[in-house]
Amino acid sequence: MLKRALAIIFLLIIGYWLAQGLAGVPFGEDRMLVGQYYLDHVKGQTGAVNAVTAIVVNYRGFDTLGEVTVLFIASTGVGALLWRKKRERTAKTEGSMVLTTGTTLLFPFVVLFGAYIFIHGHLTPGGGFPGGATIATAFLLLYMAFITYEIPHKAFEKTEGIVGMAYVLVGLIGLAIGGYFLYDWIWQDWKLGADNIGRLLSGGFIPIIYTIIGIKVGTELSGIIDNMLKEEVSE
Amino acid sequence: MISVYYFGAVSLILIGLYAVLVKKNLLKILIGLSIMETGVNLLLVSVGYVSGKSAPILSEGIGPNQAVDPIPQALVLTAIVIGVATTAMALSVAILIHEKYGTLNVEEIRRLRG
Amino acid sequence: MNGQYASLLIALPLISAFFVPLIKGLGKKAVKYYLVAITALQTGIAAWVFQQVYTSGEPIIVMAGGWKPPVGINLYIGHFAALFVLIVAAVSFMMAVFSIRAVEVEPIDKYTMLFLLLMLGATGMISTGDLFNLFVFMEITAISAYALTAYNKTGEAAEASMKYIVLGGIGSSFFLIGIALIYGATGTLNMAHLAQLAGAIDPTVAQVGLALIVFGLAVEAELFPLNAWAPDAYQAAPHPITAMFSAFVVKAGLYAMARLLYLMQAVESWHSVLKMLVIMATLTVFVAEFSALRQRNVKRMIAYSSIAQIGLIALAFALGTQSGVDAGVFHMVNHAIVKALLFLAVGHVAVTLGGTSLEHFEGLGKRMPLTAFAITVGAVAAVGIPLFNVFWSKLRILLAAIGAGYTWAAALVLIASVVEAVYYFRLIHTMWFAGEGEKVSENMALGLVMLFLAALVIVIGVYPDYAWSIAQKAGSDIFNVAQYVKNVPLMGVGA
Repeated sequence: MLKRALAIIFLLIIGYWLAQGLAGVPFGEDRMLVGQYYLDHVKGQTGAVNAVTAIVVNYRGFDTLGEVTVLFIASTGVGALLWRKKRERTAKTEGSMVLTTGTTLLFPFVVLFGAYIFIHGHLTPGGGFPGGATIATAFLLLYMAFITYEIPHKAFEKTEGIVGMAYVLVGLIGLAIGGYFLYDWIWQDWKLGADNIGRLLSGGFIPIIYTIIGIKVGTELSGIIDNMLKEEVSE
Repeated sequence: MISVYYFGAVSLILIGLYAVLVKKNLLKILIGLSIMETGVNLLLVSVGYVSGKSAPILSEGIGPNQAVDPIPQALVLTAIVIGVATTAMALSVAILIHEKYGTLNVEEIRRLRG
Repeated sequence: MNGQYASLLIALPLISAFFVPLIKGLGKKAVKYYLVAITALQTGIAAWVFQQVYTSGEPIIVMAGGWKPPVGINLYIGHFAALFVLIVAAVSFMMAVFSIRAVEVEPIDKYTMLFLLLMLGATGMISTGDLFNLFVFMEITAISAYALTAYNKTGEAAEASMKYIVLGGIGSSFFLIGIALIYGATGTLNMAHLAQLAGAIDPTVAQVGLALIVFGLAVEAELFPLNAWAPDAYQAAPHPITAMFSAFVVKAGLYAMARLLYLMQAVESWHSVLKMLVIMATLTVFVAEFSALRQRNVKRMIAYSSIAQIGLIALAFALGTQSGVDAGVFHMVNHAIVKALLFLAVGHVAVTLGGTSLEHFEGLGKRMPLTAFAITVGAVAAVGIPLFNVFWSKLRILLAAIGAGYTWAAALVLIASVVEAVYYFRLIHTMWFAGEGEKVSENMALGLVMLFLAALVIVIGVYPDYAWSIAQKAGSDIFNVAQYVKNVPLMGVGA
């Protein structure tokens, strides 16, 4: 009991202290500085209408490269920690008829929807991460419905590596063409899709990078699911 | 006067921290961490909100002066993914702990001390 | 060559980590040698960057995507970052060589990827010029460190990693709240831009935000009371990883803390945050040294000693004076060399003789004379005996502390140093004057690396002037904020 009381007192102090700080940042006021710059120039400079994805992929591309890396580390780390000589799925109950039929019917559509989300990242809310997560859900459905199903590990792992390299390569091509790492040469130099703003074929390299991220996130999350569902078996 | 959004965000942070400090089950501690992260993300988004403005997608009549600050939303996008990665890592470590000790109670897991 | 090519420092470890799944079919040996080759290449690029920055005297500003700051993210590779990126790469190279022998636990391909990404994270943390980007790189470092801590898959390793994850999770949440506050108050995330706007921030917001950021980074920088994870993690992690933790991962956190603190100099409530940090740092030194005295496990003992030295560096940075920062940077360099040497040698003993408890070190002088010699040099240097490198930096930190009016902190640190001498001499005594044993063959490549590091310790100890001049340049890179702001080609945004 004493521990709880102490914890609550400690938390109240922290809460009061945070409130003190937040009082200096009033809610709902317009304090944009760099944000306003983005809003004013996003269409002309990147060709995307969704300012958030333009910032994520283009203006602050380093963050997203890091973000992809973080997810890659997680999937690698999970793989490293749960590595055993021989592991198998040990689920015993087969999915019900509704689940199995539904999964077989829905699987292609879920994947298609995920792809739709990441391809349209520069136009609508979404992007590579939600799209990839949606694709991983499709594989999770397969795991739940069929007790023997497994993703093709080798192929998935290699895809993960290849698309990761593709992202860095896109950045390096920018370095070679425009002189800056992660430079959007498609929009800035080639002006591809300049009269297409607000439609699919625009946004410079944002759709390309989001496709890469979508595939990468999809394979990585499926790999994590696979690793967590398996257990060690003795030979 | 503190706004209700800030209040909610700070409450979530404190609830999460409470779980981390007090709970004995490892999974509950990890859930606490996730709640805390959610609170932080909510706080970030509310810092970027501007009263009466719309989402920063500049189509269908939304001009540059009618949108909220896009940066915090971009940051939250990144922060969420980082949170997911931490949780995945933490859960696999928890699986490992359960394999080695046969328990998830933090009071029984004490081999390294001093 | 164009300075933008310095972005290869980030691109190379990334692309080579993504490449590993494609070559893992070639076998364990091949993957380990691949790791050595990549870290050697990275060391080459870092050496080129170092030479560029120190001959021209100008920092390299890498602008991602061609956007000028504060619109885009920039890397700032000034005197400090150039020096430390080189240290990160060189230590990684040595530890990659060590990994060939020291790491046998499967899966090696995953180990290689995590190793490269840990190096990447530290490099990024040191060179970035953007507040949120710093958070991203910090998480890259932290998450790969979580995974590597638990890599041996023993119960202890899993437990240490879990401690680290929980503390690190709290720390990163605090850090993000700090970012939210500071962003809310200024509307920018670029560090140079922040420094420009810092004077206008509401003092309460700045104090809370800065304190939250310091707390968040204190987990990575191993400051009391948020360093409970560190001894466990150091002990349980694979030996090369322990050396990397001590030599540069923790330094990256410390540097980030110092950089942010000095950038926000113009804030009114600045001195209260510094005072808090002085207290935290002094307590870190004191608690860690006394904990080290009780240890029977040598690896854990050196881990505590490393934490104490980190506290000393944090104290130097918290003084708020030019001489303090210079001395802190000098100590960072010396500490990186000494601890890389010590952890390498202790890890070598563990791999050869099967353990790191004090009994394994009995008669080491007769069984593995070269390694015993390396440990002796490292231990004597760590204590701060004259004519070894640490002596000079420790002395300068103490003088700076007295100069800044913190005599009590200097006195406490001196007492702690006596404690440090006691346990290090106990170790040396055990190695040379206790126990007997047959001579065991020592690995030649590792012997060379150890001799090289020991030679560095002595050379810097006898001729400290050159290293000191480099440290001074790097120190003024942190301390002189006006110059930092001038070097970043900020574009005007807003009205």
